[in-house]
Amino acid sequence: MSTSGTIGRRAEAMPPEVRPVRVRAGQMERRLGRLAALGGFGMIALTYAPMLWLGIMSVSADPLGGMPGPFTLEWYDRLFTDQRWVGPMLASMGCGAVVGLACAASGLLVARTLPQLRARGALLVAFLAPLFIPGVLLGAGLFLYLRVFLGLRLGWWSVFLAHFVWAYPFALLALLVTTTRFDARLNDAAADLGAGPWRRFVDVEFPLIMPGVVSAALFGFLLSFNELARTILLRGTATTLPLFEWAQATSHSSNVPLIFALATLVLLASLVLIGVSFWLLFGREAGK
Amino acid sequence: MLRTTLILFIAVWAVFVVVPVALLAVWSFLEMKDYSFSPGLSTAAYAAVFDSGRYEVTLRTLRIAGLVTAIELGLALPFALWLAKAVRSSLLKAMVLALLTVPFFVSLASRTIVWRSVLSRSGLVNTALLHFGIIEQPIDWLLFSEFSVHLGLLAPSFPTMVLPIFLSISLIDDELIEAARDLGAPPAKVLGDVILPLALPGIIAGLIFTFVPLLGETVVPQLLGGGRVSMLGASITSLLQVLNYPVAAALSTLVLGILAALFLALRLIGGGSIAAVFEGMKR
Repeated sequence: MSTSGTIGRRAEAMPPEVRPVRVRAGQMERRLGRLAALGGFGMIALTYAPMLWLGIMSVSADPLGGMPGPFTLEWYDRLFTDQRWVGPMLASMGCGAVVGLACAASGLLVARTLPQLRARGALLVAFLAPLFIPGVLLGAGLFLYLRVFLGLRLGWWSVFLAHFVWAYPFALLALLVTTTRFDARLNDAAADLGAGPWRRFVDVEFPLIMPGVVSAALFGFLLSFNELARTILLRGTATTLPLFEWAQATSHSSNVPLIFALATLVLLASLVLIGVSFWLLFGREAGK
Repeated sequence: MLRTTLILFIAVWAVFVVVPVALLAVWSFLEMKDYSFSPGLSTAAYAAVFDSGRYEVTLRTLRIAGLVTAIELGLALPFALWLAKAVRSSLLKAMVLALLTVPFFVSLASRTIVWRSVLSRSGLVNTALLHFGIIEQPIDWLLFSEFSVHLGLLAPSFPTMVLPIFLSISLIDDELIEAARDLGAPPAKVLGDVILPLALPGIIAGLIFTFVPLLGETVVPQLLGGGRVSMLGASITSLLQVLNYPVAAALSTLVLGILAALFLALRLIGGGSIAAVFEGMKR
């Protein structure tokens, strides 16, 4: 915490008797800073160590045992013979793709127009509400509303709805990062040069906010693909990959080792997609 | 046409998000008849919530969520302060922020189930302790206990506390801090009189983002509690599965009430609103 602002710099030029007392970051503060960093990085380690351990145990003979090794690809091999996970996986991918596209399209609509509205504060809170309402509450609310009150039959459409509501705030935030960075004067300039609204959007605005659109779609896909708490309540007869994993994991069956291999594969694919989104959103900007 | 589509989308959002959540409070006062709601009003659901067994679940959930939130705050506030004001390298800052954001998109169940192979009787911790002769018998309380539930909840709840606090602290003008130092304020006074009051909206946002989802958490207590540590989220799910709708709605309303109280606290403290925290995010 030894920021040297303008006040500090001006002070050097003053005669010593009016020079303000400058408290530098003392040894004590630096020590506390190191302690604070240690705590935070400890939590980050606690976040990523289980992911690493998941990968290590997935190539071990006894994934639920204490020690890794002897190493084997047996569980990955078993995934090829025991293919019950393929159906739920394809279904989850389809659902994720639809959620991602819906998030990108509707997020684009709101992110482009929201900053100009008078009620933007209240609307933003309403759109971001699923971030801080527990998933099980939204699930219970939707279940009682759709199934019990309206008497509808639940299925993929209600799973899609729950996933969309969950993923939408993240997609909107990703899009707001790029739409608020977009210089609206570019549109005015294009209009002066005779471009109509559609051409302005396709040739000027969309290329510049494209990273946000792609990230919103990827976020939507990932959040839908990994969602569990809401799906349990709104599934009807649908089965997603997390539901399949959940059923295997809670059943104490001999299939738990398979789940380690499957979860590792999904984790790796997720990390690659997240990396791409982050690079699109922030990395390219920094590289320029 | 864009405006019409936008208004349409807002209407859809209201019908499928705002209305279902708001109606939870209504369902909790209705009576049940033939597995459906009947028009009669009743507070029986709330009486059932404070019934012996469920009362215990409510208290346990509040206790676990409260303790985990307190630990997160204790770790996140200093870390956010360090990250916002002491880290000069923007690359390091960006990397830490990315590391804190990635977990949102990774399956919680996969990250949680691994703890079983670490904490079980034949798991990593017990094997290591036995090997070094620190214990003679494997420790039982590591897994399927309140301990493992707390441990499993710690890492997933950290980013939701750090990120809002980091945002609000990084919005504090460095010159304010410098001015307070120049006027001779010791570090503790700078922290208490300048930084903390200005970071308060972020701190309360962090409390909401962390505490409220913890109240409804289902995955970790079920995977690491092993049926012994039942929490509200699982209670709501299982109540819905046994078609006890009013009590499920009453439990949900209880959690919503806590959420509303925290929001009210945010307003009263006058640090602005959640929206203000997000306005800062755009910069």
